Amino acid sequence: MSQAMADAMSPPFPAERGLDVYNKKLGMWIFLASEVMFFGALIGSYVILRFGAPGEWARPGVVLNIKITAFNTFLLICSSVSMVKAYASIADGDPKKMKFWLLMTILGGACFVGIQVFEYIHLVERGFLPSGVREGSELAELVTAGTLPGATMGLYGSTFFTMTGFHGFHVTCGVLSMLYLYLTKALPGKFTTTDYAGIEVVGLYWHFVDLVWIILFTIVYLV
Amino acid sequence: MSTVAAAAHTAHAHHDDRSFIRKYIFSTDHKIIGIQFLFLSLFFLLVGGILAMQIRWQLGFPGKPMPGGTLLPETMAPGGVILPEYYIQLVTMHGTFMVFFAIMLLLVGVYANFLIPLKIGAHDMAFPRINMASFWSAVASGIVMLASMYVPDGAARAGWTMYVPLSAREDLSGAALGQQLWSVSIILFGLSSVLGSLNYITTVINNRAPGMTWFRMPLSIWALFITAILGLLAVPVLAGAAIMLLFEQVLGTHFFDPASGGQALLWQHLFWFFGHPEVYILILPAMGMVSDMIANGSRKPIFGYHSMVFAICGIAFLGWIVWGHHMFVSGMNPTLGSSFMVSTLLIAVPSAIKVFNWMGTMWRGNLRFHVPMLNAIGFVAMFTIGGLSGIFMAATPVDMFIHDTYFIVAHIHYVLFGGSLFAIFGAIAYWFPKMFGRMMSERWGKVHFWLTMVFYNCTFFPMHIIGMAGHMRRLYDPTIYDFLKPVQPMNEFISWSAFALFASQAIFFVNFWWSMFKGEKAPLNPWEDNGLEWTLPSPAPHGNWETPPTVYRGPYEFSAPGVSEDYLPQTKKLPTDREPALTPAGGH
Amino acid sequence: MATTTHKHPPYVLIWVYLAVLTAAELGLAFELPISRNMKLLLLMILAIWKALLVALYFMHLKFERWNLRILAIVPIPLALILIAAGMSEHIW
Repeated sequence: MSQAMADAMSPPFPAERGLDVYNKKLGMWIFLASEVMFFGALIGSYVILRFGAPGEWARPGVVLNIKITAFNTFLLICSSVSMVKAYASIADGDPKKMKFWLLMTILGGACFVGIQVFEYIHLVERGFLPSGVREGSELAELVTAGTLPGATMGLYGSTFFTMTGFHGFHVTCGVLSMLYLYLTKALPGKFTTTDYAGIEVVGLYWHFVDLVWIILFTIVYLV
Repeated sequence: MSTVAAAAHTAHAHHDDRSFIRKYIFSTDHKIIGIQFLFLSLFFLLVGGILAMQIRWQLGFPGKPMPGGTLLPETMAPGGVILPEYYIQLVTMHGTFMVFFAIMLLLVGVYANFLIPLKIGAHDMAFPRINMASFWSAVASGIVMLASMYVPDGAARAGWTMYVPLSAREDLSGAALGQQLWSVSIILFGLSSVLGSLNYITTVINNRAPGMTWFRMPLSIWALFITAILGLLAVPVLAGAAIMLLFEQVLGTHFFDPASGGQALLWQHLFWFFGHPEVYILILPAMGMVSDMIANGSRKPIFGYHSMVFAICGIAFLGWIVWGHHMFVSGMNPTLGSSFMVSTLLIAVPSAIKVFNWMGTMWRGNLRFHVPMLNAIGFVAMFTIGGLSGIFMAATPVDMFIHDTYFIVAHIHYVLFGGSLFAIFGAIAYWFPKMFGRMMSERWGKVHFWLTMVFYNCTFFPMHIIGMAGHMRRLYDPTIYDFLKPVQPMNEFISWSAFALFASQAIFFVNFWWSMFKGEKAPLNPWEDNGLEWTLPSPAPHGNWETPPTVYRGPYEFSAPGVSEDYLPQTKKLPTDREPALTPAGGH
Repeated sequence: MATTTHKHPPYVLIWVYLAVLTAAELGLAFELPISRNMKLLLLMILAIWKALLVALYFMHLKFERWNLRILAIVPIPLALILIAAGMSEHIW
């Protein structure tokens, strides 16, 4: 980043050299470190429980809809690209393009959440709950038929909904933050080529959320 | 932030036209937030103490009606006699309130907030509004936790460590809403803690005044910085675990339910992975502040400043790989257990280095036994005892015998009360002038210290003995066991000492509140200390400095040659001092 | 404060990489007739590769100071220690 931008995003009162990163950005990286631990606890519990499970785990694709989720994954990756393009646009001095890409990111994120909500509703209808399989449901019949292993469905439901639910919650918070920034700062033209900390910082958060999903998609849906 | 905003911000250092609400209630000033945390945490210290008094009544006089017990509802203490169901809630909530809402908030919420910007030469924290959010979410968390004691079925009751399945299953514990509120409160507390940590870390990294290099920072700041990193990385794991526990009760998940393939030990691993760094969070800031107070009281530089820093880092680093020593008897993987034994024994080394360095600091110093110094020395002595009992527990075969006995309870209280709380008493007296512009009474501070020291040791030392005799932890009625009958008189003695200990704290509370309004007005630098905060008026003004001070040396230049006073402030420029290297604009 | 103004990395190219890797994961998970363990290993490698691309290029870690990279990396070994300990409960 340029010295001019560094000066604008940091009031020039003298201080010791820190990490050469302005406060808001450093703060976001530190926050993301704590989020790694949070998701680490949830994902770690899933790995521990699945590794120590008393029986077979359900095969991929039987309970969860891979096609829709693969599309959702692609959508989130696209929104990550649009986010970084928004950042690149304003860094290069093009607020109009930045607004466009930011809006695309918000829409992409909102669609991701929407599709996930749709997925949840569909799963619950089929009988998949955080507590496992609902009695008398379509999935219960699959358990009886032996297509799904009854012994681990409780763990499957518990871990699936907790991990993806909290990820979805984080995506939602990201969408809302970006919307807030869009309405209060991007639209009125408050971001300039020398002052776009908000875009960079929310961008970091958004990429992190994408990164977590990349891991989740693999180990929850594909394994 | 633009340059215009920055100029307006520095102007605030001498012109403050905020409303009462913005100044004192919804304040973003780190000093006010620190004081708010002080009031909040002292309240919870009182709550925890009252719970402890009831526990000691039951243990000292099992089955006898408690004075004032008839005020409690029939579901808790019919006729004033504490029920087992209520007793286990007392034990659980005493631990919860003391660990989270008293000690964590006193050490980190108060002193990280109050001291960090002052001692590194910053105007305020990096994110003042997030700081305010951190305080108010702690308040919300505390309210939820208090509320959990008043719901019909009562509070959570699986011990502050909340082991499953007792905590996860209402049919086993009898606690439903109370347990769920505990989880919710902890999640809110976790949020508060993480928001605080990210402020402290960012501020220390980026907002140090010119010349305040890493190795010129006071040890209190080093300790608070490292503690913030521990909290940042450990507390989210607790939050995750608390969420899973909440879901276990509310959504019927099976994380910890063996019948459905879950693992009860998973809770213990998650909890203690947080729990062990947590106990270092509970002691490191105390150690840091004690270093400051002892150097000041000895009029000597701290012995081995660099090794003190490395010891703090070493304790923090090793603290991540010792958590299994809380689980030696849980049935965990024995090989894992052995590795935890080794790492736990190792962690005694940096702690011992610190103890020896404090002694080295005091050795042949021009000792001033002011109240903070007394409490700091008390810390070193009591923490040493607590640390020594820790060595016993680190050895797995010994722990097999003493786990979940009063030997453990003695250890906990020696490090937390004998350690952290004495340090807190000292720190409160030490920085009181900078907070409130007045001095606490030195005489009553000494009376309080000695009474506390005597009654505290009478209360907690015998616990080592009854623990060795096999007295279990969280036990409701020791008299049902024949093998405990010989130690029951000791239980009674402990209870009487505990009552006297609690009563002695009234001296501290009265001293604290009275001095705030009627105490002797404080000069700029009552303790003749070198830190940056002592160059500001007492109390320190909003915005601290107009322009950040320049720092020329470390914080422990006491009895320096070539200077007439026996202290040499960090900001005082001598003819031989150079200006710090010019840095590009930073501190944003 | 870092004053290097670097040219932006080729974001669209990274996007193509990510799309290709995702397709590879899907193919691997459902089409290839290889053993479960091999599948798991390869999927993890692909997922980590994608995650690294996002972290290094989109989050600009490749162009930041080394100590910021350390800050970002530190939590990972901690989480792995926790997971390893928990998993070891099952194998004794």
